[in-house]
Amino acid sequence: MTKTTRTGFNRRRLLKGAGAVAGAAIGSGAITGFPTLWAQNIKNVTLRQFGTGVSAINEIAAKCKEDLGFTLQMTALDSDAVVQRAVTQPKSYDIADIEYWMCKKVFPANILQAMDIKKIKNFDKIVPIFTTGKLKSDSVIAQGTAPHSVSFVEGKDSAKFSKTPTDWYTMIPTIYNADTLGIRPDLVGRPIANWKDILDPAFKGKTSILNIPSIGIMDAAMICESAGIVKYGDKGNMTKEEIDKTIAFLIDTKKSGQFRAFWKTFDESVNLMASGEVIIQSMWSPAVTAVRSKGIPCVYQPLKEGYRAWGGGLALAKHLSGIELDAAYEYVNWYLSGWVGAFLNRQGYYSAVLDTAKANMSEDEWGYWMEGKPAKGEIKNPQGKVMEKPGAVRDGGAFADRMGAVACWNAVMDEDRYMVQKWNQFIAA
Amino acid sequence: MAKRSDVELIAVTKRYGQTLAVDGVNLRIPSGTYCCLLGPSGCGKTTTLRMIAGHEIASEGDILLGMDNITNLPPARRGTAMMFQNYALFPHLDCVENVAFSLRMKGVAKAARREAAMEVLRRVHMEGFAGRLPAQLSGGQQQRVALARALITDPSVLLLDEPLSALDPFLRVKMREELKALQTRLGITFIHVTHSQEEAMALADLVVVMKGGRIEQADAPRTVFNRPATAFVAQFIGGHNVLAARAGGGSAVLGNGTVVPLPDATATGDIHVAVRADRARLVSGEGAPGRIVVAGTARSVEYFGPIVQVGIDVPDLDPLAVSLAEHDFFAAPVAPGDAVAVAWAPEDIHVIAP
Amino acid sequence: MRLARLAPYLQVAPLTVVFLLFLAVPILTIVMVSFWDYDTVRIIPDFVLTNYQELLFSPVTWATYGQTVLFAAITWVITLLVGFPVAYFLAFHVRSATWQTVLFLVCTIPFWTSNVIRMISWIPFLGRNGLLNSALLELRVIDQPLEFLLFSDFAVVLAYVHLYALFMVVPIFNSMMRIDRSLIEAARDAGGSGFQILRSVIIPLCKPGIAIGSIFVVTIVMGDFVTVRLMSGGQSASVGLMMMNAMSLLQYPAAAANAVVLLILVLLTVAAMMRVVDVRKEL
Repeated sequence: MTKTTRTGFNRRRLLKGAGAVAGAAIGSGAITGFPTLWAQNIKNVTLRQFGTGVSAINEIAAKCKEDLGFTLQMTALDSDAVVQRAVTQPKSYDIADIEYWMCKKVFPANILQAMDIKKIKNFDKIVPIFTTGKLKSDSVIAQGTAPHSVSFVEGKDSAKFSKTPTDWYTMIPTIYNADTLGIRPDLVGRPIANWKDILDPAFKGKTSILNIPSIGIMDAAMICESAGIVKYGDKGNMTKEEIDKTIAFLIDTKKSGQFRAFWKTFDESVNLMASGEVIIQSMWSPAVTAVRSKGIPCVYQPLKEGYRAWGGGLALAKHLSGIELDAAYEYVNWYLSGWVGAFLNRQGYYSAVLDTAKANMSEDEWGYWMEGKPAKGEIKNPQGKVMEKPGAVRDGGAFADRMGAVACWNAVMDEDRYMVQKWNQFIAA
Repeated sequence: MAKRSDVELIAVTKRYGQTLAVDGVNLRIPSGTYCCLLGPSGCGKTTTLRMIAGHEIASEGDILLGMDNITNLPPARRGTAMMFQNYALFPHLDCVENVAFSLRMKGVAKAARREAAMEVLRRVHMEGFAGRLPAQLSGGQQQRVALARALITDPSVLLLDEPLSALDPFLRVKMREELKALQTRLGITFIHVTHSQEEAMALADLVVVMKGGRIEQADAPRTVFNRPATAFVAQFIGGHNVLAARAGGGSAVLGNGTVVPLPDATATGDIHVAVRADRARLVSGEGAPGRIVVAGTARSVEYFGPIVQVGIDVPDLDPLAVSLAEHDFFAAPVAPGDAVAVAWAPEDIHVIAP
Repeated sequence: MRLARLAPYLQVAPLTVVFLLFLAVPILTIVMVSFWDYDTVRIIPDFVLTNYQELLFSPVTWATYGQTVLFAAITWVITLLVGFPVAYFLAFHVRSATWQTVLFLVCTIPFWTSNVIRMISWIPFLGRNGLLNSALLELRVIDQPLEFLLFSDFAVVLAYVHLYALFMVVPIFNSMMRIDRSLIEAARDAGGSGFQILRSVIIPLCKPGIAIGSIFVVTIVMGDFVTVRLMSGGQSASVGLMMMNAMSLLQYPAAAANAVVLLILVLLTVAAMMRVVDVRKEL
């Protein structure tokens, strides 16, 4: 790791050297016109972005190189490693692609820098979930680590979150989505409408939830609340008592044999569902797509209590400055300018600025993915693979219906430490 | 212990696939005999021993012990016991437990079997080492323990597979004496496999010389030495000059033309004659009336202490060896390269049937 | 002169350095970190006992360690029961070295694939609609699929045995090959039956191999977190999983304290085995 950092330094020194030469060139008046020089120079920049696998997409790096001229180097890690690296090795990256709940942990470590909203062209068009917290003016703000609550800091160099919008923005949203239960409509044999349906004795030994404590506890909370077992103040920030009750209920449920398995990776969840070992479980939307692509029916079932949402964003490393910082701003502006947004929407995720994305999508695509309308033609993913046939409707419907029904955001709790101990107890039971 | 228990092998054959290891062996070993199976490696002596022990089963033929046909019996039910080449003591058991092993297999209680084992250890003077592990013993001590382990079953035949080969020469002579003394004292049959003719001569009442899976000769040591049945036996036993000859009319002609009178006039055709090296004399000139004289050149002179052995090249004849008493040699010494003549008395000629 | 005196030290130096760098330093680091404090994002150099207190006074810890030790014990017994006969067969019944090699390669088949692929392939075999259940249903041995076959403690032990029996077979086989064949003849000569020979000669002489195999199996199972998670479908806990969960929330000091406790437990287990059997004989 030390080695990586050292080569990083060397490269940076080289860049600075290049800058100095460029400066001398300006001084001598050999080249006129700053933008030309800038455009030449920025091509030498390499931005190192790291983050969770979902948004580390090679096509985006390639398009960035094509449109902006500089190189974007992407590293994908699992979410545990991301938080750890973000905090402990801040020099090893230039752009951190992290989730909002991670941001709550990472930003206060003072290793990231807030962005000046005046330099972000489409800032005003960003979906208001990430600014005011309300999708519409009458929306109720969901529980958990709602993105807007960690999106602003008090000042340029501050690491303290501001409750109200300021000029200093922590993260540019990249991908977000609303998660729910996945079901095998062919095997459940009845309509599924609530989170508590996973507790139906008819599904004994055929259910699963995910075994990532911070997310698993939220799904468990959705289930407990739906079944009327526990009433939470904030599911994203439970009290010890709430944690105790939730875990006690989970243990009882586990002992009664309701669960078939607890999954930890994407592949596991796909296999459980595809093999029929499990017919209703917590799931991520691409996993549902993966099951469906095997020709096995699978529905990402909207539920009355609403969704558990998550989202990620791009944050700038504190050490960025000069031309690299300029390049980083250039990159986030490009990110919001439409091409990426359309790309992400076609994957079944949502992107930050809808207007620009819409401009890059066909009417049919926009209708299917964002408005909950039946597809008129074949719906293809960004790689051109046919995902849905004409007539298909997206599970959960329109953007507003899905993101408007978020009950809770992925979160990190104050009682994190306690919660993990209890979660271990649940798994050990 | 004195019950009659002759060992008898009747047309015993052992095959491994196409290979014939033992080929129709017939042998009778009277009870109480010290018998040595002697031969070069691969001659079938060890296989024969292992068939008697029951660790190999004869492909054909029968093995009798006393009145019993033991050909197919398991080792422990034959009345034999075996002492292995490298003793095969159990490394994880102390001397007492090693010796008591067969009693343990029979289910004898611990105290009783240890007592019995101590008794046998005393017989081989190893009682002081009872608690030691085999690794803590010298080669000779290990052999005694191995003997004790074999004897505790009260066998009527003890089978020994090259028991002395693992010992250094000095110890070998000592243990050889002990083995003989033990056998004399116990009065049981010992069948001892060895490739050392010296060992066989020293120990055996009955020497069985084997070659290629067959018995060449089975006789008392003295007979084997003085009247070797085949050229191979004469050569393997050593101390003989074995010469090819052509016989006819009461005499034989050696390769170089020397005429040798034969004691037995019936022999004709191609034969071998054997002449003991220690019966030959070196003579000067023709001064040996009535003797057979062969002229040659001294090739080597080896000094062994009590005797001196002179090797002699003779034209058209295999090299000869002459063993002279030290005193006799130095009375008329020769050096390599000297012209010499070798003389025998006609009665020392032993005719080997073709 | 001076160089001559230094030479032995210089000769052991490279190994010592490697040993220190890759074994001693990491372990000492873990021990050190286990006394540190932490919050949600940072580990804080300190000297606190809370990590150990939280660990040792939690019933979860005891339950989890109990579960892990139980897995290790069951796996140990079964791998021994499977491994010993396999080794015996290979050592005493398979005479040709070629066949021994071939059969050994067969034993390593479980290692030819990755954990995840193995786990995925267990589903079509042991799953509710898997081959085994289908076959049993077809044969009318059962009328309901057997659910315990997959995502259960049974499945965990099955996977352990499948994987680690080899670690038992190899050292026992090695021990057996060192047994002088004449010892077995000597035992037979002394009237030992096959079973008696096994009990009084072969097993005692295989003890070092059994001990080494046991150390392999027990230590691997005690430290495992992948197999238990995948095969129990996350339903069973193990000490390793507990550490992984702590690490995923950046609770490194808690994980370190757990690692220290596990290390001590494993070392004690190994020490106990070494007391029973002198393994050095084998080395």
